[in-house]
Amino acid sequence: METILLLAHTEPDGTLAKSAFEILGAATSLNSSLAGSKIIAGLVGETVQSAADSIAKCGAVKFLGVAGADFAPSRYASDAAAAEAICRAANASLILAPATARWNRVLPAVAQRLGGHADTHITGIEASNGSISVNRWYYRQRMEASLQRKGRPWFILLEPGSQPAWGGERAPAKMETINVNLPETCKRTTVVGLREPTADAQTIRPDADLLLVAGAGWTKKQADGQPHVKEAEKLILGCLKLARASLGSSKSLVDLSGEGQATLSFLTHLNQIGQTGSTPRHAKGLATCCHGEEPHTVGWRFVNERRAINLDPGCGWARGKADVLYVADAFTVVAKVNELLAEKPAA
Amino acid sequence: MDVDIVCVGFGPATAGFLTTLSRQLLKADGTPAIESTVTPGMPPQILCYERADDLGFGVSGVVTRARGLRETFPDLDPKQIPMAALVAEEKVVYLLDPIGASRRSWTVRAADACLRAFKGLLPLKNDALELPWSPAFLHKTGGLVLSMGQFMQWVGAQIQSTGTVQIWLGTPVSEALIEDRNVVGVRLLDQGVDKQGKPGEGFMPGMDIHAALTVLGDGPVGPVGQQIDAQFGTPENHHSRDWAVGMKFVVDLPENTPLKPGTVLHTFGFPEPEIFGFFYVQPDRIASLGIFVPSWFDSPMRTSYRYLQHWMLHPYLWRYLEGSKLRSWGAKTLGESGRRGEPHLAGNGYARIGEGSGSTNVLTGSGIDEAWTTGTQLAESVLELLKAGKAFTKENLEQSYVSRRRTSWLESEARVAEKSRDGFQKGFVRGMVGMALAGLTNGRLALNGEPVPPYQRIPTLEEYYRGRISPEEIDQLGKECRIKGVSLHSALMQRCGWPAIPYDGKLLVSHQDALLLGGKVQAPPGYADHVVFLYPELCQKCGTKICIELCSGQAIAPGQGGVPAFDREKCVHCGACYWNCSQSVPGNPERMNIAFRAGTGGLHSAEN
Amino acid sequence: MNTAYQIVVCGSIVPDPLQTLEPVTGPAGPALKNEMMLPAVLDPWASHALYEAANFAKHSAGSKVWLVSLGPKAKLQQVMMTVAQKVPFELIALDGPASGFTDAAEVAALLTEAIQSIPGLDKAKLLVFGGWESASRGAGATMQIVGERLGILDQFQGVDELKLNPDGSLEILERIEGGKHQVSRCVSPPALLGWATGNLPEPKNNPQVGMVNMRTAMPALQKAKPVKLAGESLTFKSVSLPKQLRETKIVKDKSADDIAREIVEWIRK
Repeated sequence: METILLLAHTEPDGTLAKSAFEILGAATSLNSSLAGSKIIAGLVGETVQSAADSIAKCGAVKFLGVAGADFAPSRYASDAAAAEAICRAANASLILAPATARWNRVLPAVAQRLGGHADTHITGIEASNGSISVNRWYYRQRMEASLQRKGRPWFILLEPGSQPAWGGERAPAKMETINVNLPETCKRTTVVGLREPTADAQTIRPDADLLLVAGAGWTKKQADGQPHVKEAEKLILGCLKLARASLGSSKSLVDLSGEGQATLSFLTHLNQIGQTGSTPRHAKGLATCCHGEEPHTVGWRFVNERRAINLDPGCGWARGKADVLYVADAFTVVAKVNELLAEKPAA
Repeated sequence: MDVDIVCVGFGPATAGFLTTLSRQLLKADGTPAIESTVTPGMPPQILCYERADDLGFGVSGVVTRARGLRETFPDLDPKQIPMAALVAEEKVVYLLDPIGASRRSWTVRAADACLRAFKGLLPLKNDALELPWSPAFLHKTGGLVLSMGQFMQWVGAQIQSTGTVQIWLGTPVSEALIEDRNVVGVRLLDQGVDKQGKPGEGFMPGMDIHAALTVLGDGPVGPVGQQIDAQFGTPENHHSRDWAVGMKFVVDLPENTPLKPGTVLHTFGFPEPEIFGFFYVQPDRIASLGIFVPSWFDSPMRTSYRYLQHWMLHPYLWRYLEGSKLRSWGAKTLGESGRRGEPHLAGNGYARIGEGSGSTNVLTGSGIDEAWTTGTQLAESVLELLKAGKAFTKENLEQSYVSRRRTSWLESEARVAEKSRDGFQKGFVRGMVGMALAGLTNGRLALNGEPVPPYQRIPTLEEYYRGRISPEEIDQLGKECRIKGVSLHSALMQRCGWPAIPYDGKLLVSHQDALLLGGKVQAPPGYADHVVFLYPELCQKCGTKICIELCSGQAIAPGQGGVPAFDREKCVHCGACYWNCSQSVPGNPERMNIAFRAGTGGLHSAEN
Repeated sequence: MNTAYQIVVCGSIVPDPLQTLEPVTGPAGPALKNEMMLPAVLDPWASHALYEAANFAKHSAGSKVWLVSLGPKAKLQQVMMTVAQKVPFELIALDGPASGFTDAAEVAALLTEAIQSIPGLDKAKLLVFGGWESASRGAGATMQIVGERLGILDQFQGVDELKLNPDGSLEILERIEGGKHQVSRCVSPPALLGWATGNLPEPKNNPQVGMVNMRTAMPALQKAKPVKLAGESLTFKSVSLPKQLRETKIVKDKSADDIAREIVEWIRK
């Protein structure tokens, strides 16, 4: 008999992020396939009532919260104390939480504190015959494993975007608040603020439908024997803006900046997709001037539809890594794409 | 930085050297058996600098009699070394041409016709003849099939675990430090430079490592060996004019393969008579197989990759290979001059070992055992000199190392082999006869044919294709390929009847896929190009551009203004461009127009 | 204010990135096919952590860097011959598996024990570094558990920058959602930082650094403690390679205009 704790943190405005509703979706479906189980909701943040109200009808038997100014920031010590308190109060055996940066930082340690276990970056969860299996990827998304644990409590951190979100009406939820007195040793860190990329360089948009990937080819010499980096920048930024796309990059292009070579001014390591970069989730991906080699394309694991523009018909994309490979000059094609995107779509 | 001994390159010769040396530097109680002169109280400080990014990335699989290896490891158990097996069965196979595109002389064609005419009487199957007998000098009975990569990892780990030797990887030596005709150490390669070697961000000039003894084991195309030859000259009538490039696949054979570990096949006759093939079966259904393309295959279009694929597709081999999967891929240059290419083996402050010291036996086709043995011989000599407190002078090294080498089996067998391949200078059939003569008469007889520098043998495209493709068509195809930035051989081979390769994505893959999936080729940033076209004007007037055709990694491609372009990230450091150049440089008839310098990167597979 | 920091970097080895990886099931659970034959490198994120550690130590006189590494001894030895020329550190080696299929908590327990065994360890000077996740297990859990076991309550993950303020406090940039960074200030050590890529290029090979490192690395490898992981809490039902090959349509002979039109249609779909 599992007690499933949905553990979420609220956003600065007191709401829950989409990823929290996704966890709830997973929790309710798990609950229905496990005999005798129940759901408890646990919330952490500056305020939690409004968030609780937004999930009041999820079927949770209890709503537990840790709230207050001390719990507003994403900080290890306070988050750990809050999560620990809720887990203990709920006496939960399964803790489902969204794999946000905030929870990823703290929950494996909370599992340790409670003598339990934690599995992170979970992309699938199912119960059959009373036993629960979770799926996750190993070796930079190169192989997928299905695993089980007997020990409890078991923390399962689900990847945002991997579960269907729960949807239900708002209603007043009866909140049980847990008082957590944070000792001074937990306040040695202060969150000073957020650093956002500057407005015109805001190139990472995790919610975008399209991922536009720029490869090192953009900065290499073109047919006239000269590199055209400024033009490349203009084309890429134009495309990002017009298609409301997120920007990814190959490692080689990001590395060029470390070498002091001409590169795209708005790129940082954060844009890097692949083995040593990120593995974002987007419905579509368009690779430009990038060879589609294995270490890069492992970062495309969760990009559903993939197209590539490359001058080399034998590049990696041709080897079953893209749905369509356009053998063409990306400078010309993207210029035209931007031109077309700027026009109003036909009704 | 000051050390006692510095080694250049970690191949089998240096491995033999360091294995033997490292065993005798410490007493049983861990105190130095011999003391360092640069850090008193410690054992000698011994460093080895290796260009490749890991142990065993730059070497290749072999079959060897393992005489030298067994002298060092008397209890050698192949089971301890991944991919090693005892030789179980050896066959020499003549492959006929099932396609009709192979370029065969009238003598070979006549022989083929005879074979086909008498096929009822001869064991001719799958367009091949398994020779009922082969001469003993070719046999490796009792020997080992090895992945040199795995062997080098195995032996490298043992050497380093003694704690007396440091093998630094990914660290090329750019040159020897020479003062007053004495070698006093080495200089490492500059880091943080652009393609031309110009200092950039993070520039770090190559450090000087001073040592009483510099051991050169940097192989047949090693830059330091080249520098020493240029500086000190070579013995009279010694020259390195015969070369070959060996290219190989390591594959997973199909599950139902009938081939047993330890099976060794040698082929000749196809895809061209001059191209020899090898097929070694290792444990766990793994096989190493490939071809050698020699410098005396007088084709301006000699390519290894495409020929290797046609070779694999020969019915005799394809029946074993169909359904196989590529695991690893690689290529390397072999110095085929053997003893005739032997440089001065020692000088003040330095000694040369391994393939670059002319140790390869060109008659038996054996190199690893010989290279290893040169290393152990040097180690014994070094220990002798260290214990006697003698300096590493030319005289002392000659009395110990060189004389040890001269009185060993290495020397006597090398002399038998010395002229055994000269017959190939004047054709394949003559070459085979010459080898047989030399082998069977212990070198007393051989067919003459003084080797000429490779560039003198390279015909023009028009000469080579005379009667098959018109000069106008060659010109047209050349233009098309230059626009596409690709090599020309595929177009010309296709035109001569070589069928397209039926890619299957598993074994028959594009050249670039072989680089990535098999060789995992890569290069770190911040280093200069190591392949340099010395006199661009010579490239501009060169009609064949054989460097592009033979490049094992497609790293040399048509470039602007007729000068080929080099892409460091694709280079496997096989060194084939060093001798595949049709232009000699002004003032030096032995040197061609491509410099092959110290560089980083290359293969990232230790299965070769 | 100058503190001599004790920076302990946790980092293991992973297969060289371009290698073909294939899972197999052995007696002790899943493993990589030919695992011992695959060339290895220091985990890329742990490498960044190591370079950042060395850089931080360089700017705080008297600081020292340790690298605690769990992996098969022979492989560790080999990887050291590349890494040890980069930056100065003292190696603490644990001879055990470097597989991605091990449990983060068990690995963390071993690493913690190794850190605690460092003579003269002073928590008031301690900074524990590591990669925010590994390229093998990729869990992003090990470091937190190490921190928890060491009683470090100031932990940061996905770190891209660490700055020392004049008052001795640490300013840390952590990656969060949406391409943003969270800026935090921590009054003083001890702290634990799981690094993302940071901002430093890979250091050049320095033979002198290598010589000095190997004086301690070789003995450390020789006396590396053999360790075993129980692997009892985790059961793998399956490990499989995804069907990753698509039917690629190669469009060769269309004009840029036609291609652009097709792409725009697809984007708008």
